[in-house]
Amino acid sequence: MASDDHHIPNGSTTTPPDIQFEFAHHDPAIARINNGSFGSCPSSVISAQQDWQLKWLQQPDDFYFNTLKPSILKARLIIRDLINADHVEEISIVDNATTAAAIVLQHVTWSFLSSQFQPGDAAIILHYAYGAIKKSLQAYVARAGGQIIEVKLPFPVNSDEEIIQEFGKALELGRMNGRKIRLALIDHITSMPSVVIPVKELVKMCREEDVDQIFVDGAHAIGCVDIDVKDIGADYYTSNLHKWFFCPPAVAFLHCKKSDILNQLHHPVVSHEYGNGLAIESSWIGTRDYSAQLVVPEVMDFVNRFDGGIDGIKKRNHEKVVEMAIMLAKAWGTHLGVPPQMCSSMAMVGLPACLGIFSHSDGLKLRAYLRDCFKVEVPIYYREPEKGEHTPITGYARISHQVYNTVEDYYKFRDAVNKLFNDGVTCAFLSD
Amino acid sequence: MDMEPLAQGTPKRRRWVVEKREKKKKKKKKKKKKREQMEDPQANGDHNHNHIPKKLKLSSPSSFISDSEIRQEFAHHQLGIARINNGSFGSCPASIIAAQKQWQLRFLQQPDDFFFNHLQNGILRSRTLITSLINADHVDEVSIVDNATTAAAIVLQHVGWAFAEGRFQKGDAVVMLHCAFQAVKKSIEAYVTRAGGSVIVVQLPFPVHSDQEIIAEFRKGLAMGKAHGRKVRLAIIDHITSMPCVVIPVRELVQICREEGVEQVFVDAAHAIGSVHVDVKEIGADFYVSNLHKWFFCPPSVAFLYCRKSPIALDLHHPVVSHEYGNGLAIESAWIGTRDYSSQLVVPDVLDFVNRFEGGIAGIRKRNHDAVVRMGELLARAWGTHLGSPPEMCPSMAMVGLPSSLRISSDDDALKLRTHLRDHFEVEVPIYYQALKDGEIGGDNWDGRVAGYARISHQVYNTVDDYLKLRDAINQLVKDGVTCNNLP
Repeated sequence: MASDDHHIPNGSTTTPPDIQFEFAHHDPAIARINNGSFGSCPSSVISAQQDWQLKWLQQPDDFYFNTLKPSILKARLIIRDLINADHVEEISIVDNATTAAAIVLQHVTWSFLSSQFQPGDAAIILHYAYGAIKKSLQAYVARAGGQIIEVKLPFPVNSDEEIIQEFGKALELGRMNGRKIRLALIDHITSMPSVVIPVKELVKMCREEDVDQIFVDGAHAIGCVDIDVKDIGADYYTSNLHKWFFCPPAVAFLHCKKSDILNQLHHPVVSHEYGNGLAIESSWIGTRDYSAQLVVPEVMDFVNRFDGGIDGIKKRNHEKVVEMAIMLAKAWGTHLGVPPQMCSSMAMVGLPACLGIFSHSDGLKLRAYLRDCFKVEVPIYYREPEKGEHTPITGYARISHQVYNTVEDYYKFRDAVNKLFNDGVTCAFLSD
Repeated sequence: MDMEPLAQGTPKRRRWVVEKREKKKKKKKKKKKKREQMEDPQANGDHNHNHIPKKLKLSSPSSFISDSEIRQEFAHHQLGIARINNGSFGSCPASIIAAQKQWQLRFLQQPDDFFFNHLQNGILRSRTLITSLINADHVDEVSIVDNATTAAAIVLQHVGWAFAEGRFQKGDAVVMLHCAFQAVKKSIEAYVTRAGGSVIVVQLPFPVHSDQEIIAEFRKGLAMGKAHGRKVRLAIIDHITSMPCVVIPVRELVQICREEGVEQVFVDAAHAIGSVHVDVKEIGADFYVSNLHKWFFCPPSVAFLYCRKSPIALDLHHPVVSHEYGNGLAIESAWIGTRDYSSQLVVPDVLDFVNRFEGGIAGIRKRNHDAVVRMGELLARAWGTHLGSPPEMCPSMAMVGLPSSLRISSDDDALKLRTHLRDHFEVEVPIYYQALKDGEIGGDNWDGRVAGYARISHQVYNTVDDYLKLRDAINQLVKDGVTCNNLP
């Protein structure tokens, strides 16, 4: 049975969305419990997007001169209000968090090259930072002479304090020998394993330790946890609207707190708008399909048809995913990798040790096997065991819950793993 | 095959369970592949980089696309507009839009499966077809990016690093044409000037009368720029300049660059593919980019960046860095985060489309060129003006002089006129303002001075009426004594 999202709010005249209809294009055979990776988009928004695409194809010159810019501005204004930013100039729309990282880190490169930063100055990053972000740091910071310090965070984790402690140690390490920490790159919700990080506290610690700039990678955050950029207090904050905010691929915002540096940020793809400010530069990077950026108003309409709007959706997703995670952990005799209060709309559920997940590639093999043979889509995380651990849980499934999920999805997953368990299947038997 | 009954819990049974499941899975996959093959003979999912699919058989005369079918394919174009600006934003037929929607749907249906099992193959297929189209040697040399603007960022960022890492010295130069696309000029500012490089600007003549004029001016400009022993690290040359639109003799200019010791040559051929013949080996540049959404019927947006095999090509990176960083530009460009890659996947469908026309893409090019020259001459005769370049230097676009009485005196005037034509005459055509040359006397003497040109395009959906509409609009403005000054 579908979750409670469909019940009619008191006194409201809006009809709640028909979830089945809105997500009828999802492959019905799949238990799709991986909203975290690629997000999802309802039919009414896809339809709105196609209208925008058609408008462009009908008369692109007119669209370019008269429609595109004001429509992007409209989207930026909505985002500004959603995240409690002060000025719309602080909001740029880009393809995804990966692009946002390129923008911020390219600026760091120039700072090294122009000797504003010295060789050896450091950037701090969480060990669980997204792969693309780590590569971006290689490409733009390490290559320019910067040092990268990774903060190893515990997993499984039991509380915010554990994270705060490890982060504090890394800040100390970063400042050893008079080194300057130029940038701290902090996830709001780490990807793998998925943990909600106490960003507000970490940002405060960075300020106290005189870190130059703080960039929060909130790729998963919008539509998943609360975002108040003023309250969080970072210099930069990015989040993908196509993950948990029902936009089609791909659209993200990059919030840059108003400062002198804001004028120095540039989109790496340079058009004739170069020099007109990051938001304007980002709104035209050559002929492309900008339609995904233009449907933000339609998405607001969509989420506001749910009880409690996006806040209601967030809350129910979170409660449901925790409920399902606990159910699975009970069924398999395992545990959650993070306590409920550190779960977002995703949870990390331990997989039975006897599945024999001993490497990252085992995790991938198991994921493919679950997809191909059991029609379950769920990413698997491999955790390297600590020394001396006895029959440790080394594999965790990152389950997601979005409005289209039903309990059957999770039962299907439960039963699949139980079957593997009963048949004595291990990753060693799975082909590459 | 008989399976002996196996005891529960034994390794033999566990292996049997896994093998049984995987056999079932393989059978299903084989059936699906066979079904796909029957529907589309090119869907072989071949990972072999050297495999180039056979050229599609051209349609027989009786089955060429008809006029009414063409109208249907472009029925989504706004009715009533004389759309003679294919050059700016291109166009895409309905059957390609439909094919694109199929790809978009497949991603939405099951994005994980799409990402792991289909996306890379689809992009490789497109790259392989492009390799063949442009006569490149190897598919590794062909990357797919959003547009020429992105390609410029890739090449110029590499130049920026070369300055930063001391491979280039402060003051080393990059050459560009005076009429280079504005985005390219800004990219040079952002990545070259900022890193300490200098810029040599070569002025090309316009109006122009022959390739020889261009060659002579380029040689002169390059030599002047190299004075004082400056090292020229990169030359950026348009294959077809945008505004004003002229087909440049790139092969000869690349040759001159080599003779003059220019290290690398980047040809910005944004308009070229589907518009003029492209043979990257013959042209001989190090980098060559063209947009497939302008004249090659792809939806926005998709371009290819050809990088001749060399140690430098290995050091090129897409500015948006993903987990594929370091795996080569083509692979990096094939995944720059979650996005809609569908426009990159319809290249095979576009080849099907162009092969419904007599002569395929070559036939389309020729007919577009012939028609736009004919229309250009018609308009020039009607207005008493001239073409900005001879027919052989026009691609599928032509620069037609506008009557001097319009008094186009600035870029702003040109834009105002363009807007006026759109809003009041339903004609879409970009206007180019030709600034006075040194020594030319301007002032109030407008007698016969052609200071503005319309860049007319011809694509398969255009009809003569489109150009007659422009002709009559301009004639009306002249009759009414309108000048750019008194336009709103």
